[in-house]
Amino acid sequence: MLLQAKGIVKRFGGVSALDGVDLNVPQGIIQAVIGPNGSGKTTLINSLSGTYVPDEGSIQLNGAELVGARPHKIAQQGLARTFQNIRLFGTLSVLDNVKVAAQRHTPVTLLDVMLKTGAHKLAERETEERARAALDLVGLGTRALDRANALPYAQQRLLEIARAIAAEPLMLLLDEPAAGMTMTEALALLEIIQNLRKRIGITVLLVEHNVRLVMGISDRIAVLDFGRKIAEGTPSEIQKDPAVIAAYLGRRRAHA
Amino acid sequence: MGQLVINGLALGSIYAIVALGLLLIFNTVQIVNFAQGQLLMLGAFLGITGAVTHELPIGFAWIVTLVAMMALGLVFMAIVYFPLRGKPPFLIILTTVAMGIVLENLALIIWGPLPVSLPSPLTGRPLRFSGVVLSMHQIVIFSTTAFILLAQWLFLTRTRFGIMMQATSQDLQTARLVGIRVNRTIAVAFALGSALAGLGGLLVAPIFLAEPTMGGILGLKAFVVSVIGGFGSLPGAVIAGLSLGLIETFGARYISSDYRDAYAFVIMIIVLCVWPRGLFGEKSSERV
Amino acid sequence: MKTKALILGLCACGIAIIPSLLGEGYLIQVLNLAILNAIVVLGLNFVTGFTGQINFGQAAFFGLGAYATGIATLAGAPWLAALFLSGLVAAIASLALGVPTLRLRSYYLAMTTIGFGEIVRLVLIHWEEVTGGTSGLRAIPPISAFGFRVESQMASYYVLVFALALAILFALRIRNSSFGRAMIATRDSEVAAELSGVNTIRVKVLALMIGAIYAGLAGCFFASTIHYISPDSFTNRQAVLLLTMLIIGGTGSIWGAVAGAIGLTMLPEAFRFLDQWYLVLYGSAVIAVISFAPGGLASAIPNVVTRLKAAR
Ligand SMILES: Nc1ncnc2c1ncn2[C@@H]1O[C@H](COP(=O)(O)OP(=O)(O)OP(=O)(O)O)[C@@H](O)[C@H]1O
Ligand SMILES: [Mg+2]
Repeated sequence: MLLQAKGIVKRFGGVSALDGVDLNVPQGIIQAVIGPNGSGKTTLINSLSGTYVPDEGSIQLNGAELVGARPHKIAQQGLARTFQNIRLFGTLSVLDNVKVAAQRHTPVTLLDVMLKTGAHKLAERETEERARAALDLVGLGTRALDRANALPYAQQRLLEIARAIAAEPLMLLLDEPAAGMTMTEALALLEIIQNLRKRIGITVLLVEHNVRLVMGISDRIAVLDFGRKIAEGTPSEIQKDPAVIAAYLGRRRAHA
Repeated sequence: MGQLVINGLALGSIYAIVALGLLLIFNTVQIVNFAQGQLLMLGAFLGITGAVTHELPIGFAWIVTLVAMMALGLVFMAIVYFPLRGKPPFLIILTTVAMGIVLENLALIIWGPLPVSLPSPLTGRPLRFSGVVLSMHQIVIFSTTAFILLAQWLFLTRTRFGIMMQATSQDLQTARLVGIRVNRTIAVAFALGSALAGLGGLLVAPIFLAEPTMGGILGLKAFVVSVIGGFGSLPGAVIAGLSLGLIETFGARYISSDYRDAYAFVIMIIVLCVWPRGLFGEKSSERV
Repeated sequence: MKTKALILGLCACGIAIIPSLLGEGYLIQVLNLAILNAIVVLGLNFVTGFTGQINFGQAAFFGLGAYATGIATLAGAPWLAALFLSGLVAAIASLALGVPTLRLRSYYLAMTTIGFGEIVRLVLIHWEEVTGGTSGLRAIPPISAFGFRVESQMASYYVLVFALALAILFALRIRNSSFGRAMIATRDSEVAAELSGVNTIRVKVLALMIGAIYAGLAGCFFASTIHYISPDSFTNRQAVLLLTMLIIGGTGSIWGAVAGAIGLTMLPEAFRFLDQWYLVLYGSAVIAVISFAPGGLASAIPNVVTRLKAAR
């Protein structure tokens, strides 16, 4: 197993946003996590990536414990993510956004930078290559020099993905990457995600609340409801699962 | 010893009052007013203009001052609040700091640089009991503070408007949705916040004399008090204010009076290192 | 490319002949002060401009650097050693301030840096045996290194211009390196920066430290070109002025920081007749800039230029 999460609990005041969730993700698959609004999907991603510290439970990536580590350490262990509400470095260029994540592979000293040594130039070149490769993978190569917050919405989401993969992570966490996209944009996105796995063999954890979107692309699906995992299996198993149907239908009725 | 306690509590009461004004504004719009000290200075000088220059009865001068301070609070709001909504905090901080510079130098132009004194509303012989002296002005300070605390508590918990104000502070958007007239609430917060600063000035001037540059350090101490008290917590600010008054008075006596003004900052830095949200601060996590 | 070289050449000539136009005296001393402020504000730009952390402690770092040099050279230390000491003292002070406090958010950070500035000022005033108290230190020896003594204000001017050029060069290089990107990323989204593998606390401490070293070294030059220092030059009011220079010049813009500092140091000289009104107008101008052009002149000028072009 690449990722092993056991008994994760996260409370906000009195409510348990996550109430003892287990999740095991083997190397190389696309794992989906679905669930109605407010079921705890984002909280799960936040807990895995160290943005929130879970109140209980353990999370291991490749055997290394992640709970309690600062987010940048977790990122360095090989976890990268995107955000449901986009968080780009708005005033940096598209290319620089990606470089921020890529540059950890080519550290330099401040002295190298100030004296513009060969080491610095080499590091910059390598960072740039990594960053450009990541941009090409999501199809943003032509917009490298634009300001990030000048991009249209769908491309901002793609830029977040490019930034995440530029860190060359073992595992990529995507929080509703298709939110706010048109159907065509969403389909193009799915293709990009499948491509990523083919080209760089990355493991993906994909959070969505649109069930139909994930059915075709994921290998396994876990379903959250009120902070608990109510089902897990292949897409066809999930489609038939009565608990899942009840959770989605029940919510829908309650909303209507 | 007993004397130091009295003096310390009197000083601390003033810090607490100014801090309460600061918090009234902060709790409503999440803006920290770094010109609060200069508002205090204006309060002192308006009082002096009324009571000394125009020889108004002191009680009347107080009322005129407080009303004028409320009006000034509204002007303040129009300048620092409305144009700056949504700007990063450090720009808002600097705007209020710049406001402070403007006010301080206007005061220098109007009243000149020399210290002036304001009489206390209560004159008479100090009370003495077993070696401890309680001046008439200290009685004024203590009773005003007690009155303000009680009034603020009643206002915030017992009046419709106060309750709406608390609701606004918790969630501006929702407050707007449920039909609270948010802008009016904010206006009241600025008016009262400014009046409380002015009141602080009226109370300080009889002890320390008033001069245009007096605001800086007093304003800063009001922040220190709010920070230690957990920014947003009213009881926290009162306890922190009284404690700071005591610490400064005792520190000046027993440690060093040169560094009197440094104690506040040293304590604040220590408190923040240990409890990054202040002693009485709530724990909240940013939503991601 | 050729026009760029031409412009640079013309600028260099202009900068070189300024002193002979002003002549030795008060004006060139003000200009020297302006250059020193530019270095200090460039330092502040790392912390507040790039990394987005408010810092009211910059005047104190400047002061620590100035006193380190003043005390050391008056005690007979060679100037180069004093220069090094000034940078070191400021760097250590920045670590002492930054490591515990940079986890704090806006208002708390503002307060702790103000507190730091206030504490440094009080120590400078009251530690009389060493600092000379409120009357400060006098007759501080001039810059002298490699057998040269820089006695006149005119000669100092060239040294300071050279120092400023280096300060700009290093700032540009750092801005365009992994460090600069990490700083701006931290400002734009701390959460996303962390999750991209950036240790944001380390970045903030580093930005504060680089800024403090700029201020400390400028402090050394200040002490040895003005020859007299007192606590009055390093108050919180001075820290506020430095911040407003950055805001008016343009937060996050290297050239804006330089322009803001030089402009706002020279300006009071032109407006002396305004007297006390100057600060009233100054404060009002700061409020106006923040309200209407929060990016400062650095962003307002390109805006105006594009608008003019569009209008044609
Ligand atoms: N920082 C926070 N503070 C308080 N409550 C929170 C916080 N973050 C999440 N919650 C609560 O935890 C629960 C789960 O929220 P979460 O955002 O994880 O849901 P989600 O499945 O991602 O929903 P959506 O589909 O809307 O994105 C919700 O009830 C939410 O209100
Ligand atoms: Mg979510």
